[in-house]
Amino acid sequence: MDPQPLNEPTPSAAQDAEPASAFASGAPTDAAATGFAPRTDLSALTGQVEAVRQQIGQVIVGQQDLLELLLVALLADGHVLLEGVPGVAKTLTAKLLARTLAVPFSRIQFTPDLMPADVLGTSIFRPTQGDFEFRPGPIFASVVLIDEINRAPAKTQSALFEVMEERTVTQDGTAHHMATPFVVLATQNPVEQEGTYRLPEAQLDRFLFKLNVGYPTLAEEVQILQGHHSGFGGTPLEKVKPVLSAQDLAALRQQVGQQRVEANVLEYIAKIVGQTRAHKALYLGASPRASLALLNGAKALAALRGRDFVTPEDVQTLAAPVLRHRIMLTPEREMEGGTPDDVVKAIVQSVEVPR
Amino acid sequence: MRKANTKRLGRVQGPWGHLGLLLLLGWLLAAPALGAPRPPRQWRALADTASAPPLPADATAQAPIRRPAAERLRELRGQRELQYVEGTGAPEGAGFLARLMAWLWRWLAPVFNTKGGRVAWDIIFYGLMGATLLFAVLKLLQVDLTKVFGRAPRALPLAYETGQENIHELNFADALAQAEAAGNLRLAVRLGYLQLLKQLTDRDFIAWQPDKTNQAYLRELAASQPTARPAFAELTRQFEYAWYGELPVSAALYQQVRESQRQFGQQLSGAGRAAHLA
Repeated sequence: MDPQPLNEPTPSAAQDAEPASAFASGAPTDAAATGFAPRTDLSALTGQVEAVRQQIGQVIVGQQDLLELLLVALLADGHVLLEGVPGVAKTLTAKLLARTLAVPFSRIQFTPDLMPADVLGTSIFRPTQGDFEFRPGPIFASVVLIDEINRAPAKTQSALFEVMEERTVTQDGTAHHMATPFVVLATQNPVEQEGTYRLPEAQLDRFLFKLNVGYPTLAEEVQILQGHHSGFGGTPLEKVKPVLSAQDLAALRQQVGQQRVEANVLEYIAKIVGQTRAHKALYLGASPRASLALLNGAKALAALRGRDFVTPEDVQTLAAPVLRHRIMLTPEREMEGGTPDDVVKAIVQSVEVPR
Repeated sequence: MRKANTKRLGRVQGPWGHLGLLLLLGWLLAAPALGAPRPPRQWRALADTASAPPLPADATAQAPIRRPAAERLRELRGQRELQYVEGTGAPEGAGFLARLMAWLWRWLAPVFNTKGGRVAWDIIFYGLMGATLLFAVLKLLQVDLTKVFGRAPRALPLAYETGQENIHELNFADALAQAEAAGNLRLAVRLGYLQLLKQLTDRDFIAWQPDKTNQAYLRELAASQPTARPAFAELTRQFEYAWYGELPVSAALYQQVRESQRQFGQQLSGAGRAAHLA
């Protein structure tokens, strides 16, 4: 049993108003007329998100699920880790998303010799004043693209712990606060690739989603080739314009935060995450931060789907992106060829949907 | 350092080297014809016998035959230490397990002590060894033994942590009446929706499973009874707004929803069973 595909919207009244022979019931199909309509006006949210989607869609072919989840993370105020083999447009997608937002953007290329100060910044002595001045590093931006994050060793990774969770950088006893929004979009190649390190668990836990970027379909790849052949591939970034300001995003996030979540759905989230801590195939289960991530993500996804409440479908859809990087398989399960996604799927199937 | 080593080596090699050479020389001289093929061992034995002087036959001396006394023989036979035939019973004071094993062996011994029994035992033993080896090889190769005979393994029942109401056991009429009487109309909407899910399951339009979401059932229904999907999608939406969305349901709204649910249920009754699942 798989959750609803991301691009299949929740059936709305208008969508299902097609003629049906035997079952053309007297059920009213106008959502507002029945009284079953969102109590919050989500039209601004869906409209602005659609504008972002359109901008990115000018360049990126396919990857609709990826784009949808990136937007969910943006609305849920979460960081995203994009994993995929080289050449599947991970970096391009992240750059395009950043470009649609009218906020400061920075890019850090992680290399094996990168030091924490190269990321966070450092204090410089000013001889004339006789004191130290803090020079902010490239992390001080609203959207930070960390390319090839797993090519830097653990020492540099640990520099990100504080800033990713607390949105502050403490240097020489002074806490420097990040601007709002602050989103880290990191890309990495699979760990099996040469010259990469496994990210520390504490850091992985700070990513809202880990999204696997796959290969395009045949039709999508042909479309990519056609676009490139006709000169489209020259400067794709210039086509994309900023459509969402920091204030707009803050307002949308506030709206997402007000989504309704029924008590049984909260319990459903807790049960799914709790099962990861007792599963025999797992060496490390997910933390309560994972429960919060699942909740926040589900609220954002529900809003994107035009609902002002969360359903178990939203939770199921996001279970794998939220949990796959937070759990560790036992060596036996790894040797058997099991994957975290398999275990998450089994866990979701073992918990009853509240209804 | 190198010099010291050389000196030490010289000291060791001097007398021992000479002794070794002398020993080697002695061995070469003592060897009768080094390199010549030696005769086989039996021939050498015969040759030694032939060269020895023959001894005269001892015809006079008769070895006396000594026999133990009959009394002593009886005494020895009576001693437990000299009785080499194992008893089939358990020794005195043995535990339950030892007595059980002894009984089992007493029962099996006549079977395996025959010639046929020994052959059977050999077959069983080597058969088990072969099967163990085969199992180990197949396990190492990760071959799914359950598929050897062409049948996929049956999915095990899911270990659900908690069970809510079983829709197949719930008395919907009573539960609905109670919810309506209590004014809990959100619950009444939910019960009406669960009743529809039961009807859909009974008619094989959907396959009820506690981990499936409403959208999963909608997709199943779209495959089994496409014409029923739009109406059921609307009812699903109403249920989700009322239950997950915690939308207050007024009496008028409830009447509307309940009527839609009844209508769908009646239409479902006349729809027959799903052809692809029945």
